[in-house]
Amino acid sequence: MDIQKLLYIDRRIIYLLVAIGALIPIIRPIGLPVVPTAPVKGLFNKIDTLGPDDAVMISFDYGPSSEPELNPMAAAILRHLFIRKVRVLVVAIFPLGGVSMAIQQLERVSQEFDLQYGVDYVNLGYKDGGQAPMKAMGVSIHDVFPADVDGRPTDEMSLIQQVVNYDDIDVVISLATGVIGEWWANLINAQFGVDVAVGCTAVSAPKYYAYLRSGQMIGLLGGLKGASEYEKLLIDRYPEARELYGKPEEAKKSAITGMDVQSIVHVIIIAFIIFGNTMYFALRRSQRR
Amino acid sequence: MRLWYAFIMIVVCFNVWFGSDALAVEIEDFAAQDTPSDGGQSIDLRWVATGRGKVFILRSTARDSAFSVVGEALASDGAYTDFGVEEGVNYYYRLGWMSGGDTLQTHTVGPAVAKSNWFRKYRSNALVTTALMFFLVITFVNRAKKGHPLYIRRIAGLSSIDEAVGRATEMGKKILYIPGILSLSEIQTIASLSILKHIAKLTAIYGTDIEVPNKDPLVFSAARETVREAYLEAGKPDQYREEMVTYLTYDQFAYAASVTAKMVREKPATNFLIGSFFAESLILAETGQAVGAIQIAGTADIPQLPFFVTACDYTLLGEELFAASAYLSHEPVLLGSIKAQDVMKAIIMVVVGIGIVTYALGSEFIKNLLLTR
Amino acid sequence: MRRTLPLFLTFVVGMFPIFAFFVPHRAVSDLNQQLDTWLVIVAAFALPLGVVNLVGSNITKIKRKQKGWPYSIVLLAGLSVMAFYGIMGGEQGFHPKFQYMFVNMVSPLQATMFSLLAFYVASAAYRAFRARNIEATVLLAAAIIVMLGRIPFGDMLTGGRMTPLSEWIMTKPNAAAQRGIIIGAALGAASMQIRVILGIERTYLGKGQE
Repeated sequence: MDIQKLLYIDRRIIYLLVAIGALIPIIRPIGLPVVPTAPVKGLFNKIDTLGPDDAVMISFDYGPSSEPELNPMAAAILRHLFIRKVRVLVVAIFPLGGVSMAIQQLERVSQEFDLQYGVDYVNLGYKDGGQAPMKAMGVSIHDVFPADVDGRPTDEMSLIQQVVNYDDIDVVISLATGVIGEWWANLINAQFGVDVAVGCTAVSAPKYYAYLRSGQMIGLLGGLKGASEYEKLLIDRYPEARELYGKPEEAKKSAITGMDVQSIVHVIIIAFIIFGNTMYFALRRSQRR
Repeated sequence: MRLWYAFIMIVVCFNVWFGSDALAVEIEDFAAQDTPSDGGQSIDLRWVATGRGKVFILRSTARDSAFSVVGEALASDGAYTDFGVEEGVNYYYRLGWMSGGDTLQTHTVGPAVAKSNWFRKYRSNALVTTALMFFLVITFVNRAKKGHPLYIRRIAGLSSIDEAVGRATEMGKKILYIPGILSLSEIQTIASLSILKHIAKLTAIYGTDIEVPNKDPLVFSAARETVREAYLEAGKPDQYREEMVTYLTYDQFAYAASVTAKMVREKPATNFLIGSFFAESLILAETGQAVGAIQIAGTADIPQLPFFVTACDYTLLGEELFAASAYLSHEPVLLGSIKAQDVMKAIIMVVVGIGIVTYALGSEFIKNLLLTR
Repeated sequence: MRRTLPLFLTFVVGMFPIFAFFVPHRAVSDLNQQLDTWLVIVAAFALPLGVVNLVGSNITKIKRKQKGWPYSIVLLAGLSVMAFYGIMGGEQGFHPKFQYMFVNMVSPLQATMFSLLAFYVASAAYRAFRARNIEATVLLAAAIIVMLGRIPFGDMLTGGRMTPLSEWIMTKPNAAAQRGIIIGAALGAASMQIRVILGIERTYLGKGQE
């Protein structure tokens, strides 16, 4: 066989094998084990210390494109917060679909718990202007969001009356694509001192390690792997979470199941890299001869 | 609103009475003063507490009457910032807590007045750094104006622009220039437009076709102006066509779909991907690679750099993008600012180096000096 | 005047946020917020320019029956229907039909485009990761460790050593290199911004250098 041909293999063959590798675990899940890492434990352990007197803000800073990676994260974090009865304020800074993601996830998770809107949680909706509303919330959340996502006045909600600004918030969690997660870490944490954690797509995870190491973030969930680790911690710690994720329709959507796909595709890519290098050295040897 | 405060009062009393925190509290040195270095939005309260439990903050605009609860804190916090105040109004404060079924209060403190301040003292270090950066830029620009020679190292990505444009000219195919997906408020986009002008001048001189598809409407307007101006400066205004700069969509992935479709259909000879990119970077660069285009990329978005390095022939890494206009024009004034940037980097390296050593020796002086909010 | 006014405006508008960063006074912060609002308004005014260009070029394409003209009809139909229900939905854009189209059409289409990355990463990795020299070999080894560290197989093969090793690569060499690039890029951006504010850099204005 011509080594040159194998070395410059038609990329469609690679695409086909990746597609097959992604399909198989969807049809027949493998159930590979998940080991939680320190950046994920950082956020989990922080939330584990919070209770009904505390409040957490979740900023939905992603759109439908990152949904497969970030929705399981959103669901797991919301479940953790609601199990611990922590009050939750949801906002959206990402213009293209952030608020839709927030509505979907809140609708999905809030019905699993006995919660009162405006008291236990609130969806404040989208605010345009990127950094401007983020900074303004340092003075007054109510001034930035006088009405919630459905136009209801927030000054009538006890949650907004009690949580005035970042001083009353224990952690801000940004589920982010693009640059917004960085703004929370290097702008809001730096200026207001509030703890920040970021859940991001796997591709942007490397840049956040610098912020994590410097203490500007307390936790990091990178891609589907981060989400699966969070689910694992939650399932191991709370029986009610185990029950939730045990339901077939939830198990299908979980990051732990998704990790099967990621694992197989990674193995295929590694196999291709090894194959490519083998062919490369074989070619070099034949050229030397 | 008063009803609400009454409700809070009852809840607070209930919590304190029945909660585990219902232990004796003693407050000393209670004081209220304007929050320093702010815009007059708040008043800082400070106290020293012995014992555990919650305290509630009472505020009034009169010294002896009409106090209402405006917040609560743990006694052990020793501090509370009241954001519910108006600038220039006299406020009086008391702290209240429950002890053995009785409601106790401190004496009244005040008046405290929230004032707008003119300087954020805690940003003094940032001010010094900013001033130093301005000083260095102005100094080196002036030196360059006086004719001091300035050296700038070879940047492969920029040196190969001529070759890339020449290739498209020889092949009789178009050049695709993608100026990133962020708006004009992003400095990378401004840097990209500077490079676009240089390339548009070359395409005007060689008579090569160029297309600039846009995601952001502001960049679209600016890019159109830039290309038109480049053709004018090259003495070929008649060759400029409005279709050279087009608007596609504001949606990131719809934009990526449209541009990759252009690549596949029209098979451009050269692709420039210069500006701010996110997840679409690899989709664009890998498609360009697949259709056999020579590709020059440039971005300061660090997560995208590995993708560009993998799929493109040349990549401008981070600061190289910002040095491009100086490099391409060889204008001494612009080179002067690059020199200033290098000097600043050297200063930062020295300070960080000293910081590492002193921190290892147990001193937090440099760390605290560099901390900013 | 045509030359000076834009430079003067750039100087004032560029310097003001720097000034506001250090000056907390309400008068300054209010004006700074106004500037942010103006940016949104200016961008909103630029959007119709883009839409006019998009509609114009596609109508021309349909009129001239250029290659792929039926797609232009699809584009214009999509644009009009989505915009219509978006405007009908008010400030947050939640007309039920808009939401329906967003969830069932925009959402899966975007996810599809994003998931293409998996295929492109595979082909790019196959091409790029070759042990051509020492540096490339180090890169290759690091890539394989991180990839294995991100999946359970890695730990299964190495008795749980791959995840800590991969985390070490991410938190130590990766974070250090990222910081280096961040500092360099930030300084480059600051230098460029100062050039723009002081009017030294004018290429973006279409007016050439000094």
